Amino acid sequence: MTSLPRGHDLSYVCIGIKPNKNVLTFMIISQEICNQFSDKEIILKSLEDIDFFSCLYQRYETKLTFYIHRISKVTDEEAEDILQEVFIKVWKSLHAIDPALKLSSWLYRVVHNEVVSRWRKNKWSRDNPTIAISDDMLQSLADDMELKKPTEEVINQALLKISEKYRKVLVLKYFEELSYEEISDILKMPEGTVATRLNRAKQSLKSEIGKIILV
Amino acid sequence: MENINKILDRIKKDAIRPTPRWLFTLKNAAIWTGFLMAVLLGALAFSVILLAVQQTDFTITSHLSHTKLELFLGLLPIIWLVLLLFFLAIAIASIRSSWRGYKFSILRLLTICVFMSISLGTLFFIAGGSQRLENAFALNVLTYESIEERKIQVWSNPAEGYLSGKIIGVNDQTLILEDFNKDHWEVNYSKAFIAPIIILEPTEKVKIIGKMSGDKKFNAEEIRPWGGPENRNGLNRFRQAN
Repeated sequence: MTSLPRGHDLSYVCIGIKPNKNVLTFMIISQEICNQFSDKEIILKSLEDIDFFSCLYQRYETKLTFYIHRISKVTDEEAEDILQEVFIKVWKSLHAIDPALKLSSWLYRVVHNEVVSRWRKNKWSRDNPTIAISDDMLQSLADDMELKKPTEEVINQALLKISEKYRKVLVLKYFEELSYEEISDILKMPEGTVATRLNRAKQSLKSEIGKIILV
Repeated sequence: MENINKILDRIKKDAIRPTPRWLFTLKNAAIWTGFLMAVLLGALAFSVILLAVQQTDFTITSHLSHTKLELFLGLLPIIWLVLLLFFLAIAIASIRSSWRGYKFSILRLLTICVFMSISLGTLFFIAGGSQRLENAFALNVLTYESIEERKIQVWSNPAEGYLSGKIIGVNDQTLILEDFNKDHWEVNYSKAFIAPIIILEPTEKVKIIGKMSGDKKFNAEEIRPWGGPENRNGLNRFRQAN
């Protein structure tokens, strides 16, 4: 990693720069620098200097990759491809970001729409996404559904059996650990509908878990 | 990290630029304009529905041999109801596609849009705009059957007990009525209830409930004003007299 001044801004830390006008160059801002800025500041800086766009990617790459794997059975390469598309779309729509909306919610929404769009085009399989579930997540789910803590395998099996619309809200609530407001913003539905759907989803999941355990 | 390199590389290589802010502002403005237009057009449709309801004598349903449902459907301003529903749907779809539109449930949006259309439509109706709109439609849209034409159809059934037209002569017990087909009728009104706002004199347009008593002869049981903006002479005179 090389530290170089850029204009008057000495805070830049760049990776692999080749300042040559004939060659397309870019700099990836270090995480240390990125962490000094809020999401909104990064967006504003990205509009002035594209290199700051890398901060957004660094900040959300892991979360969004997990989310893609949770809602769709894709390989790592395919998930990367989705992320690429998503960030290109985000770049194009930087001016459209609703200031009242959390950036993370907006990113989840774009990812969700991209995955759904690929399902529709049959480019990606929507079957059998397996979800890596932490102990905390399992516990939270079990507590909320008044169940004895089920195993990761049982949850995954049950999730595959419930309807798509229920799986979506469960994933966002328990595995992405998002609030009702965030889920409402991602799925573009009123919070009341999110609450109703989540209740039904839990009932459906509980029933499927019961069946699996009985078998 | 490799992926972000690819993304930045693609953005620079393809010279992808963020879509200008004004395009999003324009889109947003178009959505809100669409919403307001839809509410306004819905209001106009509602005002004509009010006019149709005002022009309809629902009490006559008991006199007709047709079923009430048949008559009700016949008098219903279907086209305006369809237009109202269409514009309500457009208004809801517009607001739902706005930035924060998804935060509202369909029921809430429907309530808001219906309330706005009803309020504006009622104001338009009170201001007399609905009649002008209806007339404009009747004059300019060939296939459009106006409320007046529907009313004439219902009230041109002497065999069923419904007669209407313009008074062209009045005697002690009878009056001569020219119906909308230009046929002349001798109407006996000696036992008829005559609405207080009617002054039986030539040029007054009336509708009559009663029974046919012969060829072009009719016994009136009830005489009512024809109604409508062009036929308010009787009403005005009635108001002045009181």
